[in-house]
Amino acid sequence: MNYEFHWNTVFQHMPEMLMGAFVTLHVSVLSMLIGIVLAVLLAIVKMNNIKPFSYLATTWVEIARNTPALFQIYMAYFGLGALGIHLSPYIAVLSALVFVNTGYLVETFRGGFQSIPATQYHASKSLGMNSFQVYRYVILPQMFRRIYHPMTNQFVWSILMSSLGILVGMNELSGETQRLQSLSFRTLEYFIVAACLYYLITKLVLFSAGLASKKLFKGEI
Amino acid sequence: MGSFFTPLSWNDSGFILTGVMNTITISLVAIIAGTLLGLVVGFIRSEANKAANTALGAVLDILRSVPLIIQLILFTTYIGAMGHPLDPFVAGSIVLSLYTMAFMAEVFRGGFDSVHGSMITAARSLGMTYWQAVRYVQFPISLRAIFPSWLGVALSVIKDSALVSVIGYMELLRTSEQLISRTQQPLEILIGVGVFYFIISYPLSLYGKYVERKMAV
Amino acid sequence: MKLLRNLAIAAATVTALSSSLVQADQLDTVIKRGTLNCGVVLDFPPMGYFDSNNQPAGFDVDYCNDLAEVMGVKSNVINLTWGDRIPSLISGKTDVVVGSTSDTLERAKSVGFTYPYFVFKFQVFTKPGVAVSTFDDLKNVKVGAALGTTYETEYLAYAEKMGWGKSNYTSFKSENDAYLGLYQGKVDAIISTNTNIATKLQTNEFKGYVAGPYVPNYDDVVGLIAKRDEVAWINYLNLFLVHQIRDGKMNDHYNKHFGSDVPADLIQSLRDNK
Repeated sequence: MNYEFHWNTVFQHMPEMLMGAFVTLHVSVLSMLIGIVLAVLLAIVKMNNIKPFSYLATTWVEIARNTPALFQIYMAYFGLGALGIHLSPYIAVLSALVFVNTGYLVETFRGGFQSIPATQYHASKSLGMNSFQVYRYVILPQMFRRIYHPMTNQFVWSILMSSLGILVGMNELSGETQRLQSLSFRTLEYFIVAACLYYLITKLVLFSAGLASKKLFKGEI
Repeated sequence: MGSFFTPLSWNDSGFILTGVMNTITISLVAIIAGTLLGLVVGFIRSEANKAANTALGAVLDILRSVPLIIQLILFTTYIGAMGHPLDPFVAGSIVLSLYTMAFMAEVFRGGFDSVHGSMITAARSLGMTYWQAVRYVQFPISLRAIFPSWLGVALSVIKDSALVSVIGYMELLRTSEQLISRTQQPLEILIGVGVFYFIISYPLSLYGKYVERKMAV
Repeated sequence: MKLLRNLAIAAATVTALSSSLVQADQLDTVIKRGTLNCGVVLDFPPMGYFDSNNQPAGFDVDYCNDLAEVMGVKSNVINLTWGDRIPSLISGKTDVVVGSTSDTLERAKSVGFTYPYFVFKFQVFTKPGVAVSTFDDLKNVKVGAALGTTYETEYLAYAEKMGWGKSNYTSFKSENDAYLGLYQGKVDAIISTNTNIATKLQTNEFKGYVAGPYVPNYDDVVGLIAKRDEVAWINYLNLFLVHQIRDGKMNDHYNKHFGSDVPADLIQSLRDNK
C-alpha cells in the first residue's frame, strides 16, 4: 500500500457533496412520485384493455424494461437533442427515471390489483360501501401492502440509477464528486465518501418508507 | 489535416460488432459467476446461524446500496492504488459479478427458504443424508420456483453491463459513443443500440413470463 | 577479525545495493514490459481524436509514439476522459498521461507534473447569431463546458465573482459532448481551448460559428503527468520534452496538426514556465 490518503480536501468540499446528495434524493423521490401516478393510470388502462391506450402502455412498459437506463438517459439528452428538443440535464435524468419507474411499476401494480379477489369487491359493496370507499378502505390498502417491497426496491433502484446523471453533466452526487475530484485529483477519497453517502441515502429512504407504511398500513407489512 | 467528422460507413460495422461481442462476453461472465457465487452465498444465508448471516447480509447490503458506477470507479482506483492494476475487462467482470451475486444470493435464499422444513425432515426420515436431502429435494424444488426471478436478475445484468464503459471497456455503448463523437449523429446510433438491447432482452423476458404463468397454473 | 568485519560490511553493502536494485521504478518497468501505456484524451482534437478508421490520432498521440520510440518499446495508446486521467495513473492502467493536464498546485499534491509541453488559451465559441464580444457578455447566454476541466473551474469562479449564478451553466461529460451540445443548440456558447475551436471551425458542421473572446488573464499551461513518487521517470519525461523541441519533432507535429510552425511565443512560454 503506497497510497497516502488526503481527507482534508474532501472535508473542505463537504457542503458541495451534501448538496449533490440532496439533488440525488430530490430527483429520485420526484421520479418515484410521478412514476407511481403514471403507473396506476397505465395499469388501469392495460387491465381494462382500453384501446388504443393499452398499446401505448404495452410499448412503454416493454421498452422501459428491456433497454439499459444508461441508454434511456442518453436518449433523453442527446437523442431528443437531435430532434431539437432540449431538456436540461436534471429534466433529462428525471424523465428517463420516470420512464423506467413507470415501466416497472405498471407490472407491479397490475400484479397487486389482480392478487385481490373480485369477491372482496362485491362483498364490500353488499355491505353498503360505494366504489370509492371500496377502493379506499378495502382494495388499495391491501394492494399497497402487497407491493410494498417491490415498490421500495424500485425506489432504491431510482437512487442508484440517478448516479448516471454523471454522464450528462448533472450536478447530482456522482457528477459533483467527479467535478470535485478533478480539482485536486483525489479520486479515491472522493468516491469513498460518495459511496458512503449513497449508502446513507438508501438507508434513509428505506427507513422513511418503513415509517410511512407503519402509519398507512397500521404496522402490518 | 483530415476532417474530424466523418459519417458512419461500412468500415464501422466491424467496430460495432466488437462492441456487441464485448457486451455479450462480459454479461455472460457476470451472469455465470454471479449465479454460482449467489447460489453458494444464498445457500449459506438460508442455512447458517444468525451471526454469519448478519455479517454476510451486511456485505450484500452494501453491494446493493451503492451505485454500480461508483463501485466500478472505486474498485479500479483502489486496486490500482494497491499496486495491482487490472485491465478493464477483468476489473469490470469482478465488480459486475459481485454485484450480480448480491442480487442472486437473495433470489436463491428466497427459493431455499420456500422449501418447507417438513419436506427436508421427511426426506431425512426416508434415510437420506443431509446433502442428499439438499441435492435431491431442496435444490430441484427451489431452483424451479425461482427461475423467473433468476431470469429477471440476469436480464438486468445485461443492461447494467453498459456501465462498464465508464472504466474503459469497449462494450456496445462505449463504441457507439465514440462513433457519435466522430459522426455527430446521436439519434441514429442510439436507436441502433436500443434495438440491440431490446432484441436480446425482450424474447427472454417473454419466456420468463410464460414460465411464470405456467407455474402459477 | 578485521577481515571478518570488512566482509560483513561488504556483505551489508551488497545487500543494500541489490535491494535497491530490486525496486524497479516506472522507467525500468516500462522498458522491461516492452510496452508504454500512454493515456490520451481522445475527444480533444487536434490533440487527440479518432480518425475515420476509429484509430487514435493527434498531437498527443504522436507524442506517445515518439516517447515509445525513443524508449525502444511499443506504444499502447489508451483512451481516457478528462476525469479518467488520474484514476488511470493511480490504478497503474497508464504509465504517463499526455492529456493536456493543467499544472495547478492543488493537483500537484496528488500527481507528478513534468515541464509544460503546451500552452492553451481558453476561448468562447458561440453559435451563429449570438453576440459575445467580451467575456462579460456571457452573462446572458447559456454556457457549457466539459465537466472537470480547468476552463469549467475558471468560468464558474468568474461567474461567481460577477454574481451570475449557475443557472445558465451546463456541464458536459466530455469535450465532444460539449460540442455536440452546442451543435444541437442545448447551449449558446461553450468554453474550450483555442486549438480545438480552430480545428472545429474548419469543419462543415461548425461553419458560421464564432470564436469569441478569451478567458481573461489565463494561460493554460499543461504538462504530462505521472505518479508523483516516480521522480526518475518524470526526469526522463522532462528530458524527452526538451528533446521534442530541440530535435524539431514538436515543430513537425505542430505543422501536421495546426498547419504552421510552432509560434515563437509558445516556445518562449514553455521555456518561461519550466
